[in-house]
Amino acid sequence: MTAVPTLPALSEEAQGLATGPVEHPLHPEHTPTGQLSFGAFFQGVNSSTVWRSERSGSQIAWESFETLIRTAERGRFAAFFLGEGLRLREHRGVPLELDVAGRPDAQTLLAGLAAITESIGLVATQNTTYNDPVDLARRLQTLDLLSGGRAGWNIVTTDNAWTGENFRRGGYLDHEDRYVHAEAFVKVAQQLWRGEQIDHHGQHYDVAARGTLPRSAQGEPVLFQAGASPAGQAFAGRTADVIFSPHGTLAAAADFRRSVVDATIAAGRDPQAVKILPGAEIILGATDAEAEEKRIWVRDHQIGPQQAIALLEQYWGRDLSDFDPDGPLPDVEPEIEQSDVTRGAGFQFAKAKELTAAWRAEAAEKGLSILEFAREKSGARRGEFVGSYDRVADRLGQFAALGAIDGLNITPWLIPSGLDDIVDHLVPRLQERGIYPTEYAGTTLRENLGLPPVQG
Amino acid sequence: MTTPQNSAGAAAPAPVLAVDLVTDPAALPALGALARALEAAGIGALTLSDGGLHPVHVAAHLAPATTALGLLPRTDAVHVEPFHLATQLMSLDHVAAGRAGWLLAVEDTPEAAHAVGREVLGAEAAAQEAADVLTASRLVWDSWAEDAEVRDAERGLYIDAARLQYADFEGETFSVRGPAITPRSPQGVLPVLLADADRAAAGEKVAEQLADGRALDVDLTGLDLTSPDLTDPQAAGDQLRAVVAGELEAAVRGDGASAVRLVRLVGLDLSGDPQALAARLGALAASLREDDLVAPAPAAGTDLRAQLGLPAAVRDEDPARRADRARLAAAASTTEESR
Ligand SMILES: Cc1cc2nc3c(=O)[nH]c(=O)nc-3n(C[C@H](O)[C@H](O)[C@H](O)COP(=O)(O)O)c2cc1C
Repeated sequence: MTAVPTLPALSEEAQGLATGPVEHPLHPEHTPTGQLSFGAFFQGVNSSTVWRSERSGSQIAWESFETLIRTAERGRFAAFFLGEGLRLREHRGVPLELDVAGRPDAQTLLAGLAAITESIGLVATQNTTYNDPVDLARRLQTLDLLSGGRAGWNIVTTDNAWTGENFRRGGYLDHEDRYVHAEAFVKVAQQLWRGEQIDHHGQHYDVAARGTLPRSAQGEPVLFQAGASPAGQAFAGRTADVIFSPHGTLAAAADFRRSVVDATIAAGRDPQAVKILPGAEIILGATDAEAEEKRIWVRDHQIGPQQAIALLEQYWGRDLSDFDPDGPLPDVEPEIEQSDVTRGAGFQFAKAKELTAAWRAEAAEKGLSILEFAREKSGARRGEFVGSYDRVADRLGQFAALGAIDGLNITPWLIPSGLDDIVDHLVPRLQERGIYPTEYAGTTLRENLGLPPVQG
Repeated sequence: MTTPQNSAGAAAPAPVLAVDLVTDPAALPALGALARALEAAGIGALTLSDGGLHPVHVAAHLAPATTALGLLPRTDAVHVEPFHLATQLMSLDHVAAGRAGWLLAVEDTPEAAHAVGREVLGAEAAAQEAADVLTASRLVWDSWAEDAEVRDAERGLYIDAARLQYADFEGETFSVRGPAITPRSPQGVLPVLLADADRAAAGEKVAEQLADGRALDVDLTGLDLTSPDLTDPQAAGDQLRAVVAGELEAAVRGDGASAVRLVRLVGLDLSGDPQALAARLGALAASLREDDLVAPAPAAGTDLRAQLGLPAAVRDEDPARRADRARLAAAASTTEESR
């Protein structure tokens, strides 16, 4: 067996934060609750889900979702969470074949899962750009009523003409307007939930309707928001109950908390009003060494040779299939005009030439092949949540004490068993430390996230 | 471009006995128990009519509580986003393990139109829109082959794009590119039926060409299933039978899109005790089955197409729509250049 590298030391900044006295919160207006909530994020796309193992189950079978959500509920997770992509991802004009793909409509699935669960929240990622507000508001309210007040809506604003090819309006929305549009959309939904008559004539729609459904046990669905741009943060400050953030290192999470508290205050809301749950991958073992070994296994199963080449092709913008994945990075120049980040991946890149040159230099210096380099860049990384059960529990204790986060939205890397060790080994340790619920606080998602009753 | 058709020509056996539930939020607390009781009593399917809660989600909610019942939401095909509707319905088929169907409705009311910022289309345009939405939905449902998920670790392929195809639907008012964002559902292509209540609005194309069959509506409005005269389930069954058998016998059974594949009891007050209601409706089912007027009670795990007597869906492969066409074209032009 190869020697297992020791875990990296914390950065100085992170150490300072981690050990800093709790009397100095991250933001003068923010008081840490010291408590954490977990969400289980069924991603359904991207290389993070391992499909090459014998233990990789179906991504679509009811039994997979049933196993996952029952495990999450056993572990007192606050929410079960589904992502959304409204067009099948493509790479170089062909549906991406290398990662898991294909998932059910979030709310239809969650309506079924509501029937076999009692306490866990059910959160659907739903796009504002390609939905009709009256229809989506009614579907969310239906889910909220079917589940006895456990529904949540993760508001996303993904907009592009390519996704629009599946919808009536096509690429109708200017990217700059995505949150203007989203805000009007959410307002309409809230008015309908509150039984109001709406007659909205705005920049993007003219709709007339009346809300007819009763309030649910939690009033109305909890609003999550995912989208980290400044406009996204401002929108969250005005509107969201919870942010699903991409910032999972302590230093980044601390910065993000400060910035979100500022945005919340600027919107005239209680500085505690917005919870933050970063997305996270957790890799555990009985010892640090075992966890690190598992991390390498996960990383190697996440990224195979074809994915390594495809990763580079996104930035080189050309066919690189003739290059050896075990050889050095391609010595050819990128074709910038064809640069084609895998569509639907949620990130864009413009400066292909600079990036590819930097990557070539980095790989050469570290002596990494294409495959090794790709695994470094996009496979499971060392980080805050890789280690022994106790190490990760302690680390989460530091996050909680500081108030950097209110919990994590955890992506299991194996379906459907990927939450097992978290629930069996990490959750009990967090409960012992008094930072994680031993029982559900109530029957609604709002209660289980520690949110106040809905205003309005 | 080929267009997926209905399963016309299939000989229709005795229709499936269905009970219509209205998705009124007040009925919600008893809904699961009612569905289970009706299933145990041998009812073949539930149709879900819009009473506020979204019928597709209510159907999905009832799926895990049941194992044999067909579940057919009755939902609009006009003032909707076709790609979402198709995705929701095929997802219902996944959740219900092949027991989902669609009772296609045409709701071109001012209310339905204004809710999505459109104007009333008028009868002819609404019927055309419904036909387009149905055709687009079938193209989306049929876009993944059953074996598209290959999990070929050697080649690094989770799915094989050659086994996917675009929908490439171009209608008068909308287009849908596809492929589906959801893998092929257990039935592949869901059965689409048209209730008598919707026949006129749906227009000839849907009613006579595109639908997989007809749902004969038997209106039992005003009938009190809990009245003292009906306390004996057998007596209740006989009394109900008198109404239902008459309508079944009088109906022209038709074929193709007009074949009666479902008989739908509508207008029933189902607010009473689920067990008592189910006992009476179960007696009706048993009585109708004595004379083969309705199909046998479905076994657990039967898919809805089979229960309705429809053949299994065969995928309509169209080389022009193959999802790897960009790669094939690039390879062809490379070959061309190297000549
Ligand atoms: C952690 C995280 C998860 C997200 N998940 C999704 C998703 O599942 N589907 C989607 O369409 N957008 C998702 N997005 C959000 C979109 O990328 C975002 O709404 C859009 O890009 C515009 O937001 P922005 O410009 O503020 O980032 C996610 C964003 C974050 C940060």
